Amino acid sequence: MVLQTLATLGPLHGYALAGRLDQVSRGALQINMGTLYPGLMRLEQRGFVRGTWGVTENNRKARFYSITPAGRRQLVAEKAEWDRMSSIIHRLLRGEG
Amino acid sequence: MMTSLFREWIVRCWGAIRRRRSDSDLEEELRSHIALAEEEARRRGDAPERAMRTATIHAGGVAQAMEMLREQRGLPWIADLIRDVRYGCRMLRRNPGFTCVSVVSLSIGVGATAAVFSFADALLLRPLPVPHPDRVVTIGSPDASGRNLVASFRDYVDIRDRTRTFDGLVAFNSFNAAVATHPDGLPKVHIGVLVSGNFFAVLGVDPEIGRAFRPEEDAVPARDAVVILGHDFWQHEFGGEPAVLGRMIDVNGVPCTIVGVAPAHFTGLDQYTRFEIYVPLMMWPRVVRSLTAEPFEARDFRSLTIKGRLASGAALRDAQTELTVLAADLARAYPATNRNRDIAVRTEVQARVIQAPPLVGLLAMLTTLAAAVLFVACANVAGLLTSRAPVRTREMALRMAIGAGRRRLLQQLFIESLLLSALGGVLAIGVAYAGVHVFRQFQIPTDLPVVPSFDLDRRALLVGLLVSVVSAVLFGMTPALRSTRGDLTAVLKAPDAFGSGRLRWGRALLVGGQVAVSVTLLVIATLMYRSFQELIAHGPGYRTDHLLQMTLDPTLLGYTPVQAQQFFDRVAERARAVPGVKSIALASSAPSDIGPSSGMTVLPDGVQLMPDQERIRALTSIVDEHYFAIARIPIVSGRLFTASDSATSPRVAIINEHLAQLYWSGQDPIGKRLRVGDSNEPPVEIVGVAKTAKYVALSESPIPLVYLAYGQHPQKRMTVLAESLGDPKDLAAPLRDLVRGLDANQPVYNVRSVGESYRMRMVTIFDVVVELVAAMGIAGLGLALVGLYGLVAYAANRRTREIGIRMAIGANRTTVLLMVVRQGITLSIVGLTVGLCAGAGARYAMRAAFGLGRDIDLLGFILVAAVVLAVTLLAAYVPARRASRINPMVALRCE
Repeated sequence: MVLQTLATLGPLHGYALAGRLDQVSRGALQINMGTLYPGLMRLEQRGFVRGTWGVTENNRKARFYSITPAGRRQLVAEKAEWDRMSSIIHRLLRGEG
Repeated sequence: MMTSLFREWIVRCWGAIRRRRSDSDLEEELRSHIALAEEEARRRGDAPERAMRTATIHAGGVAQAMEMLREQRGLPWIADLIRDVRYGCRMLRRNPGFTCVSVVSLSIGVGATAAVFSFADALLLRPLPVPHPDRVVTIGSPDASGRNLVASFRDYVDIRDRTRTFDGLVAFNSFNAAVATHPDGLPKVHIGVLVSGNFFAVLGVDPEIGRAFRPEEDAVPARDAVVILGHDFWQHEFGGEPAVLGRMIDVNGVPCTIVGVAPAHFTGLDQYTRFEIYVPLMMWPRVVRSLTAEPFEARDFRSLTIKGRLASGAALRDAQTELTVLAADLARAYPATNRNRDIAVRTEVQARVIQAPPLVGLLAMLTTLAAAVLFVACANVAGLLTSRAPVRTREMALRMAIGAGRRRLLQQLFIESLLLSALGGVLAIGVAYAGVHVFRQFQIPTDLPVVPSFDLDRRALLVGLLVSVVSAVLFGMTPALRSTRGDLTAVLKAPDAFGSGRLRWGRALLVGGQVAVSVTLLVIATLMYRSFQELIAHGPGYRTDHLLQMTLDPTLLGYTPVQAQQFFDRVAERARAVPGVKSIALASSAPSDIGPSSGMTVLPDGVQLMPDQERIRALTSIVDEHYFAIARIPIVSGRLFTASDSATSPRVAIINEHLAQLYWSGQDPIGKRLRVGDSNEPPVEIVGVAKTAKYVALSESPIPLVYLAYGQHPQKRMTVLAESLGDPKDLAAPLRDLVRGLDANQPVYNVRSVGESYRMRMVTIFDVVVELVAAMGIAGLGLALVGLYGLVAYAANRRTREIGIRMAIGANRTTVLLMVVRQGITLSIVGLTVGLCAGAGARYAMRAAFGLGRDIDLLGFILVAAVVLAVTLLAAYVPARRASRINPMVALRCE
């Protein structure tokens, strides 16, 4: 989700990212810092995102995260996997197909 | 996916060691998050304080997020581990006394065990240097002594061709090989071994360079003069030069072509000797010229050793069943030679144990002693750790109270214990090497490389280390287990109130046990020392000073027995004229070198033994008429040999007193006749009785021995004994030159003074054993003292308050001193008593094993008891004195 957001919106800082996820999920996903930042750090350690210090439109210092080529590849792979899983579960639960 | 996961771990591992993003960097990011949230809330119209609150509620606490980030950043357990190791090191450094004693204790215990096990390994346990050594067994008929399994060539061929339980059987026989590496070089004596053609293939040994023997090279007697070199021989004689292949060397005068070199790891099939050159078995009659029978035909010429590789799926029992049937078949087919000849099969260890029973006793004793020292060492560490437990328990409880996890506490103590035993282990390697060095003093006096290789055994070191780690961890973890199990507040409130009774009992038992074990060791050591001293003072029964020995074996160069005898006579005659020589005698061996291999059955002529009656075996020594005078062996009755006892005169013998007693107790043996050996030779007439001496070991019980006249029993190998006027070693060079002057190619060996030979063969082993046992006893006592000191000090410390009260209400220093000392002394007296009893018991075991141990050694007991009492008193007195100096006011206030 983080990768998808970064892929569509471009570089974002942590707070904006949390706000975006909150907004997209219509308040279903309220992520606090203790979840968000370790997650971002893990993605950074795996080389999917890169974080750099920058300045917001309101002239505040913030760390901006952008997706890397490896991150994009991972996103495609994860999406495909998710589609596969969800279709399986969908079929199982609905008894279709 | 995998690569990215891998990358995450690499980055995290790196993060554990070096931080890429500092805490402040992370914190700044979190603060900016809050700030942004606050800003937005304010934009929505919240009041400043409310905005701050909403933002914080929404985002969560900075501290918690920081903790999660830190965990993600590195590998927390690695960081913890490093921290624990650092902390552990600091703890060890801060208690140098405790650390030193524990580490030294462990290193002595583990090191001694490893050294002794290495010794046992070298002599008894080390597997054969071949693949799957557990499948290789020895088979054959027991020889006259019952210690070795032997077979004749014909029997070997029959067994080899008929067996189904073996994948292959090899036969071999070692021989003295005078090897000249250059055509006209001087030959030197080495250990050669005749091997069947399948030797290397069946054992699974591939030559390092060149090739193994071909089957056709072991098909026709005396045809193929080829030789394979042992690795060490190749290194020493040819400097590891690969171009030796195809070169010729002389083996006992036979030029042989070098076709291969055995690999370095293959040192032969005997734990004492290293095979140096290998020759096909078919070369037997050519390289060994003094054979008394046709080796490939005579079924009763049993001198081959046979080893076989069990077929897969065949058990030892199957092999034995098959061999029993085979033996019965052979006995039916060849009753003259094979009647009552069982064929037995023994595993390598069985064979070695049966070969040398006294060795097993010695090894069993040393192993027990080493185990005892290991016990004392571990008990010591356990005691020390336990004595620290109350303090540590408090510390642990405190740390639990402020939020440390149970797992973390256990881990930390575990690391501490591990550090302790690891330090001990490192030192133990040093101690073990020192021990192995001591064992290397065991020498067998010969020029041949028959030195067993005592190398440090890694498995033993590992086992010892494991024991020490387990004991350290077990006792080191107690405080953590205790404090994390129970009620924290109780522990914190009353730190000294728990676990006193049981804990102290356990420690008292440990310390008492330590004292007992070390007293036992000391008793054994003094006992051995005193018995050995007595034996050495008594001497072997012949002179060992002013004598030089020198062995000649001209049959190696193809001399016939007659030529050899002439040669010996000539050497003896010329040697008498050498300046500095007082007199010369010829003997089959020097008095201290009469090995058990010279044993033969002896039986009075005309006596028929019942089939189940045991025959008496006597050592034999072939000596000339000057021998008894030179060796100063007194003749008790009868006469000496004379020059007139020759091949044509009646055959005569001199027996020792012990043999006389065995057969003719209360009678005069002079004039009686004796049959020597199995052969059908005529009996010998006894003309004299010599005093019994020590022939194999100083500790031996009297051994029967027969001296035969040199003039009547020509030998292929003789030893020249030269009595010197001055230092016998000064005679070595002139005598060598003399032999060389008679025959330039003649190998001369075992040139040394008889005193040296006697010391090496009979005295050094005692010194080493006594040194060893005493060292263990002293180490054990030292450890026990530390344990006792620790216990008394600890007990006194716990009673500080009680002592304070006692003194406050009028007890004086002496009373307190006695009270504390009494505790320690009670323990040491109990330990001493138990130890002395055990030592007395050990004496019987030792007498059974070595024929040692006097009836009563009161002095030794008293000595040990006095020393132990004195030192334990001191160990108890020091802390007691400190306790008696307690100022009652201070003692009461400190609680």
